[in-house]
Amino acid sequence: MNAASATATKEGAGADPNLGARIQALVERTIQRNIKGLEYIATPAPVMGTTPKDLIYSRGTLNLYHYRPLADEIYRVPLLLVMATTNKGYIFDLAPGQSLVEYLLKQGYDVYVIDWNPPRADEKNLTLETYVLDFIPECVRRVQEDSGEEDVTVVGYCMGGVLSVMYAALHNDGPIKNLACFTTPIDYRHMTMFQRWSDRRYFEVDRLVDTLGNIPPELIFTSFEMLRPATRIAGQVQLWENMWNDDFVKSFRMFDRWSTDTLPLAGEYFRQTTKELMWENSLYHGTLALNGRRVDMGNIKVPLFHAVAQHDHIVPYDAAKPLVASVGSEDKKEIVLKGGHVSVVAGPNAVKRLWPALDQWLGERSV
Amino acid sequence: MAEQQSTPDPVAAFRELVTQWEKGLNEFASKAMNSDEFARVMNKATTTTTTMQQQLGELIGRYLSSLNLPTRTEMVNIGERLQAIETSLHRMTAQLDKLGASTSGGAPAGPPRTKRPPSAEQGGSG
Repeated sequence: MNAASATATKEGAGADPNLGARIQALVERTIQRNIKGLEYIATPAPVMGTTPKDLIYSRGTLNLYHYRPLADEIYRVPLLLVMATTNKGYIFDLAPGQSLVEYLLKQGYDVYVIDWNPPRADEKNLTLETYVLDFIPECVRRVQEDSGEEDVTVVGYCMGGVLSVMYAALHNDGPIKNLACFTTPIDYRHMTMFQRWSDRRYFEVDRLVDTLGNIPPELIFTSFEMLRPATRIAGQVQLWENMWNDDFVKSFRMFDRWSTDTLPLAGEYFRQTTKELMWENSLYHGTLALNGRRVDMGNIKVPLFHAVAQHDHIVPYDAAKPLVASVGSEDKKEIVLKGGHVSVVAGPNAVKRLWPALDQWLGERSV
Repeated sequence: MAEQQSTPDPVAAFRELVTQWEKGLNEFASKAMNSDEFARVMNKATTTTTTMQQQLGELIGRYLSSLNLPTRTEMVNIGERLQAIETSLHRMTAQLDKLGASTSGGAPAGPPRTKRPPSAEQGGSG
């Protein structure tokens, strides 16, 4: 018996000299997984958005932050980042070393961020006009006042990009110096799944808004989740497998918390985006009018930078592609980066790809 | 030798299995959800849920009223009045800030806005 097992062990060792080390690593990781799994349950998620900042303006759903400079000398033109209305702005400031804001500050930019609170019940009547003709212009004015500079560069992410594009199109004589957008949908025909789900034959948007007032975050979260229904479960399996790896767990928790921290949407704003953008595709067709003023992207003449993600399941490339072609700018650039809708902006991919590209483009245009 | 190198790694195999499962299920679900029938059923379910939610809200409203507690509408009205006060406060703060800036007469504090991009600096020195 002993001789047989000894022979088998000898043969096994001969088959793979690394087998012992692999088994040892496997056992160690299993132990670590259990210990750290308990830690995971017992400890809160990492704190995010820690780069020092001051709230310089707040009104209901709107917050305008100014980040304290981290460089001794800064570029003349301040940046105003406009967050998407569906999620919180700390995706721009996840953690030290993984923060776009921190990176920009260290590169010498003066950074302001528009972040959104959940709209209150009494804010259900906010419209696209409120965001484009009131909130953003008011914040631009505050940035001008705070920085003492006339010019401002606007940087929008996803729906924040859409609002920034609309703002730029309607303020072509305004203080905007450059416009940078990340994964900004323009042609809504190509948002295929959202198109299908908001099919006007079945989707009773009026009834939904009239009943609920504001659209609850669960509805927004579920619609994002349904785009890739297996990914959350696969993510949990991946988390368990990598539970021994502190860096992986920290990163996972940050992204998981951010993606589940979905905001409700103001009812009228949701109704308008559904009808105007999803159903009529009016931004793309140039028929969208806000307060009677037509939003013509051809009126945008300032330098434009558009970063899109190769594997974006929320804003497919075809939906984002028309931005560069539609604007009237002579100085315009589109870059297609590896990654998805979120990883293109934050995380290890973004640190290597988007951030340096953005810095290079902005630096030359921020003096 | 070839056999020695091809010893299966159960962890890698499991990882691959999960990846394949995720990809397959996502593709299958996308196909299934990208149909008229799914859109119709999903929206019907959403409408039913919201209608039920509305009716429940009305029922709770009547219950609160019987307990002499404020209704949601009354709370919203208070919220609107608070917002109006907030707006006035912001306007007053802005006016005060302007006044402060005009009396101090100085430029906003902070580092000098003289930074040049690295490309310009290289060009300048070269």
